[in-house]
Amino acid sequence: MKVTRRDLFVWGAGAAAGMVFSPVPWKLLDDVSIWTQNWPWIPQPPHGPIEVKQSFCTLCPQGCAMKVKMAGGCPVGVAGVSGNPVTRGALCPLAFGVHQLNWHPQRLRAVRHKRVSSSWSEARAAFAKACGEGPIVIVDGRPGSAASSVLASFAEEQKGSYRVALSLETRALLPYEAMVSPVIPASALGYDLERAQTIVSFGAPLLDGWGIPGRFTRLWSERAAGMSEPQLRLIQIEDSLSRTATRAWRWVAIRPGSKNALAAGLARVLVEEHLVSARGPLSALTVSDAALQTNLSESAIRDLARTMVAKPPVLAIAGDERPEIAALNFILGSVGSPGGIVRRSKPTEKYELANAAIPNARAVLIDASVPWDYAPPTDAEIFRFAAWDGGSNRADWLLPAPGFLEEFTDVNSAPTSAVETYGVAPQLTKPMFEIHSAAQFLSAIDSSFTNPETIIHQRCADLFRERAGTVYGQEIMPVAELDSAQKFEAELSKAALWVADAPKSASLLCELKEWPSTSPAESPRNWSAAWAAAVLPPLATKLYRESSLREAPDRRTA
Amino acid sequence: MSRNSLVFGFGLAVALLAGWVAFPRALYSKRPQPVEFLHKTHAEKSGITDCAQCHAFRDDGEFAGLPANDTCAGCHSDHIGTTATEATLVDHYIKSGQETPWLVYSRQPANVWFSHAIHVRRAGLACADCHGSYGDSDQVRVYEVNRISGYSRDIWGHSMSRLDRAAGDGMKMSDCEDCHRRRGIEVGCLGCHQ
Repeated sequence: MKVTRRDLFVWGAGAAAGMVFSPVPWKLLDDVSIWTQNWPWIPQPPHGPIEVKQSFCTLCPQGCAMKVKMAGGCPVGVAGVSGNPVTRGALCPLAFGVHQLNWHPQRLRAVRHKRVSSSWSEARAAFAKACGEGPIVIVDGRPGSAASSVLASFAEEQKGSYRVALSLETRALLPYEAMVSPVIPASALGYDLERAQTIVSFGAPLLDGWGIPGRFTRLWSERAAGMSEPQLRLIQIEDSLSRTATRAWRWVAIRPGSKNALAAGLARVLVEEHLVSARGPLSALTVSDAALQTNLSESAIRDLARTMVAKPPVLAIAGDERPEIAALNFILGSVGSPGGIVRRSKPTEKYELANAAIPNARAVLIDASVPWDYAPPTDAEIFRFAAWDGGSNRADWLLPAPGFLEEFTDVNSAPTSAVETYGVAPQLTKPMFEIHSAAQFLSAIDSSFTNPETIIHQRCADLFRERAGTVYGQEIMPVAELDSAQKFEAELSKAALWVADAPKSASLLCELKEWPSTSPAESPRNWSAAWAAAVLPPLATKLYRESSLREAPDRRTA
Repeated sequence: MSRNSLVFGFGLAVALLAGWVAFPRALYSKRPQPVEFLHKTHAEKSGITDCAQCHAFRDDGEFAGLPANDTCAGCHSDHIGTTATEATLVDHYIKSGQETPWLVYSRQPANVWFSHAIHVRRAGLACADCHGSYGDSDQVRVYEVNRISGYSRDIWGHSMSRLDRAAGDGMKMSDCEDCHRRRGIEVGCLGCHQ
């Protein structure tokens, strides 16, 4: 029998039809898709013992406690720590994928000078040369840490300037600095949310990523969610129906840019109707002026003022730096009282802010803790430390910094916290390439500086010496019951959290000489100092972009 | 029957035979376990009746993994019998201090966070519900590895069509989803992929 060309085609058609009814295409599709996840150049965690260790997220200043699942010494998953009194088991969506970031394609793996590959020795030489040629500026994003001490000392030694890029939450506390006496820097103040019964938020996204992710959301779920008469009233004053506004007890919709006018109007009603004991000072703005600007009726403003004080303590929270909201808190008697603005820690030094003009600087060194989108207002040579390259940036030098869990570092109180805390994030994983933090870099240039590790040991010893506060680790232990400083430090090194005792008196001596002049509206082009990630882990990217849990950094406008 | 139908049918038959018989054999390669471990023998002779006696949970509820050689050394610190397997276990692994490199039938990618404690203690699942009844087996199962994906055959299951699978045969994500759907328990992405 002769096999024709037609037979081959027919046979092929039969084979193709048969193949469809066999497991081959479907199984191959599945296996090949798994194979593509396991290509040799895709990092795979080693097989090995599975262990769960504790640490802190060091991506943003909140420093949330997290459990890290390690496979063969490599982080493969994170979760919140339910026993942590500050975060109460919550993490933000970004933190859930933080373990993926060390392998991110945009991870900075080598020094770059003007986007061209360079070396650490060249970077050190260039910075040392710049130090000799003129004043330098060092910008830090997490003041108060051990590494910050090195940065500040170096700047002082070089007769340069040490500046801080404060978080937006801390910047909202800046107006109180001038109000309290003696001066207490914003970084030592916090919000006593736990004891407040009415919170008036002027655009602060309290239920959408403001401050420590778990703190307010947990409070809200316990005292307000689903209750017709909640124990904690949240009044959201905002021009759009934000996530927080949709869930708040009341949403007061006002005209964009009129928050300051509403604060002035509310203060006037509070004083004129004797709803508070304070007598002023007040803005020149009348209630009808405020009504005109906010698009609310005069009676609505009066009703709002009465509602605010109906369930004290009342706390007004600004979404950004607004002296008018601080003045309203003063009128409400909420500065330095329980359920208001409280002093968290002992007064520390007042910092120079990063967004102030930088005249005549020869070089600017920016620590990795500073948000990626910060651009110093200067033409000086910029040395930028970062673990990830987030794209367009004016930095002359890009210097690879430690990524997630690659550095032994300390974690101070979160910006909005009402209590002082201290934790130590242990180094849980070895860096894959040569990286240095800004503090290590400066210590290598001038070895006379104490390294951050020594400072952390010293701080632990100092805290133990005070014999105050409580350690939240596997067990909850008052420091007074610990035998030795070594045991205290050992607990902290396992990522336990030291929490200071609540201050006996929250009272602060405060004075408001005059109602603040209206602050100019912030231009979207101004750097907002809100924290933004340079890159997002794949998991968070999906969450960010597909569920709009947060706006991605490149979509953020102000 | 026309010639074309015959040729078409022949091609169909060859493809079906290749797909259902030859392909699975070509896809999986067989690897021997380093030591011939018999669950049934241990259950009968040592009185081990509970899986957790060897496959324990840690204090935090996580599965502690395979028992280390220290556990085996409780009985096998020296030769108990004269078999070659006993000699391998004692001489090659226990006395040398080298952990036995077991081939794990149910190994999942490291980005899967699976809590045995929740499934066993809270949901009341038996070990056999997912792993099959290997506690009664009197021979070592063959470890078959997928040449493409690198995972054990137990993950896909032994039925290539996945239509006639026995309980506990298959550990793909869809199996987790099916079980959760049947029981009405919702878990988001982050429940397992943290």
